[in-house]
Amino acid sequence: MMETGFWHGGPKPGAFYSLPGNSSTYNDMPRKHTQQPITTGTSVLGVKFDGGIILAADMLGSYGSLARFRNISRLMKVNDQTVLGAGGDYADYQHIKDIIEQRMIDEECLDDGFTYTPKALHSWMTRVMYNRRSQFNPLWNVVVVGGIQDNEPFLGFVDKIGTAFKSDVICTGYGAYIAQPLLREAYEKNNAMSEQEAKALVDRCLKVLFYRDARSFNKYEIAIVTKDGARIEGPMSSDTNWDIATMVKGYE
Amino acid sequence: MKTLGHMINSRFGSHLFDLLSSCRKNFHILSKQPKISVNIGQMDTVEEYQHGGPKQAYFNPYAFNGGTVLAVAGEDFSVVASDTRLSEGFSIFTRDNPKTYNLTSNTVLGCTGFHGDALTLTKVLEARLKMYEHEHHKPMSTKAIAAMLSTILYYKRFFPYYVNNILGGLDEEGKGCVYSFDPVGSYERESFRAGGTASSMLQPLLDNQIGFKNQIGVDQTPLTKEKAIFLVKDVFTSAAERDIYTGDQLIINVITKDGTRTEYFPLRRD
Amino acid sequence: MALADACNFSQSFSNFAAIPTALGPQDGLSDFQNALQSSENFTIPQNYDPVRDMKTLVDGDKDVKIEFDHGTTTLAFKFKHGVIVAVDSRATAGPYIASQTVKKVIEINPYLLGTMAGGAADCSYWERVLAKQCRIHELRNKERISVAAASKLLANIVYNYKGMGLSMGTMICGWDKRGPGLYYVDSDGTRLTNDMFSVGSGSTYAYGVLDSGYNYDMSVEDAYQLGERAIYHATHRDAYSGGTVNMYHMKETGWIKVSANNVLDLHYKYAEEKKQ
Repeated sequence: MMETGFWHGGPKPGAFYSLPGNSSTYNDMPRKHTQQPITTGTSVLGVKFDGGIILAADMLGSYGSLARFRNISRLMKVNDQTVLGAGGDYADYQHIKDIIEQRMIDEECLDDGFTYTPKALHSWMTRVMYNRRSQFNPLWNVVVVGGIQDNEPFLGFVDKIGTAFKSDVICTGYGAYIAQPLLREAYEKNNAMSEQEAKALVDRCLKVLFYRDARSFNKYEIAIVTKDGARIEGPMSSDTNWDIATMVKGYE
Repeated sequence: MKTLGHMINSRFGSHLFDLLSSCRKNFHILSKQPKISVNIGQMDTVEEYQHGGPKQAYFNPYAFNGGTVLAVAGEDFSVVASDTRLSEGFSIFTRDNPKTYNLTSNTVLGCTGFHGDALTLTKVLEARLKMYEHEHHKPMSTKAIAAMLSTILYYKRFFPYYVNNILGGLDEEGKGCVYSFDPVGSYERESFRAGGTASSMLQPLLDNQIGFKNQIGVDQTPLTKEKAIFLVKDVFTSAAERDIYTGDQLIINVITKDGTRTEYFPLRRD
Repeated sequence: MALADACNFSQSFSNFAAIPTALGPQDGLSDFQNALQSSENFTIPQNYDPVRDMKTLVDGDKDVKIEFDHGTTTLAFKFKHGVIVAVDSRATAGPYIASQTVKKVIEINPYLLGTMAGGAADCSYWERVLAKQCRIHELRNKERISVAAASKLLANIVYNYKGMGLSMGTMICGWDKRGPGLYYVDSDGTRLTNDMFSVGSGSTYAYGVLDSGYNYDMSVEDAYQLGERAIYHATHRDAYSGGTVNMYHMKETGWIKVSANNVLDLHYKYAEEKKQ
């Protein structure tokens, strides 16, 4: 029998997607929170280098196994010393982004010389994520905060239930299994790599991820913070090599 | 601000009333629970009570991040140690995350379990200790911190902090003391205690080496600071050999009348 | 502040909060006051059923598993010279012996004792609350609270939390105008009085010894022997009981602590007696 949906479990032709929170049978139905992510982003990578930090994330918004949105940014510049990257539910990330941007405007208006430092933003993110999980209404994201504070590079991690830590190397999602060992090895060999070396390193990691993570994409952005400020670069792509693909046998 | 005093008043059955009124904003009681809804009419303090229908919960708000803590009390000192590995499942988040928290100059808390809860709990403790110090012009004693921690944990009895706490420090007489807690605040003063993933490996060894348990005719020499530190390094080295959640580095806090001294000791990193 | 003033900007960061779905307490951006408040009161997420929602955590076979301290043998009996209270001292978390040195007799005041079985935290917290209520009663009424009233206070308190997962089986023992008092109170709200109770996983073993040796007119020394023996035999057969036998005697003049003997020592003492 033929599938009627756009894909398995999808809407019938002409019908709309039925998404949580958009239900017409709202009245007596259980009120649903984000109980599962819908449009998702995969890994975020982060590593410190000499005098700064670099974050990297690809630009794919997956919809289950569908590579649905192929040009979405998952990195944001918060201010001249802070950047943030997120994996997980993209809508929840946009919500976090909206709130942070509003808070930055509020800070700007105060004009008192203070602004969110990476540590402050990281700490604040832990409270937001933890409080939401405590209400059984999580923001389904893994967030990496990076930047420079007191001339020291900073990298911090927060997940959807409020587990948080800081580290020299941070990878989320599949990156934790595939890219993290590469980054840790490189960092342990040389913890004062240059910006260029760091860029080349994350490019290599994203390429390896692209080879193996089916929810990844060869189009990515990087965020770099140095004492000269924060910037987002991209989109860019890795040079891939599929020569050995023809040699993989036995799956025909 | 509410205290136990407000929570229990002379009327029998007043607890639910107070429990409800305390659940403002962040926290609400099940709106569908019939015996609670009886009181809702009087609840002018319950704001934003109308929240559509009931919610379904599939999501697991807890994780387990591993780690081991240990506290040993001597005559005039205490040692509180932990490893610095933070993991989830089979991956290591970081190799440098101590699970000891310096609360005052002579009290250190060791806290393992779900790291999100540990972070929150220690933040709350920090705030409560600051408030106490401003109010009383002195830091809180270890004994008082233990009693406070017990109630803080119990107030989350119905949605607990998933943490094992071990508190080490000096008591009012300057003697070393250790308090151990279960996740909902049952606590006891002891002279040595291991908690966390390798606790069932460390505790028997300490029972033997410090407690001299079930040994006849053994020379029960009092524990010196040097021996305590030596033992702590040894038991953690052994735990790192057999427990996947323990390793990387050991942080040892030695608390004496002169304050807290911290030292590090490497553990297996595999 | 120039720009802020010119823009008529409010100091609080909550302009956005006017839209409840955008930045209300729903977003977890609760203020500091709220976080502190939750450290001084019982808190629970909305639409949360502690029994249903904690089940997976307490019974689950997953990594995340909360184990509370449990398991006990406690007993108390009335006789001519007062009330004997005897308990073991073991706490278990699953198969692990969490402690061998638990104080399962809670000293509420000089004329009231409570015992601990079930959740250790539940017992010690609510009996602490009871201790406070008893003191308030004394201050208000210029006389000690009766054992009947004290036990009823506790039963009423825990009854309010019925169905929320509390676990407590306690005996409230005391001496008041009516003489020795002994009440059993549990977390279901049950409250009973009798001459003899035993509570906990080892209670059946303790009852066996108690019933075979009990006599209301027995001497104080015989009562001590009986209480200690009953707990010893329970620790011998019940894996969840052990440690030391703590024994108290409630007299007209208040309670005294009779003994705290390690069951290991008792074992060899009884073995020696058997030989003679």
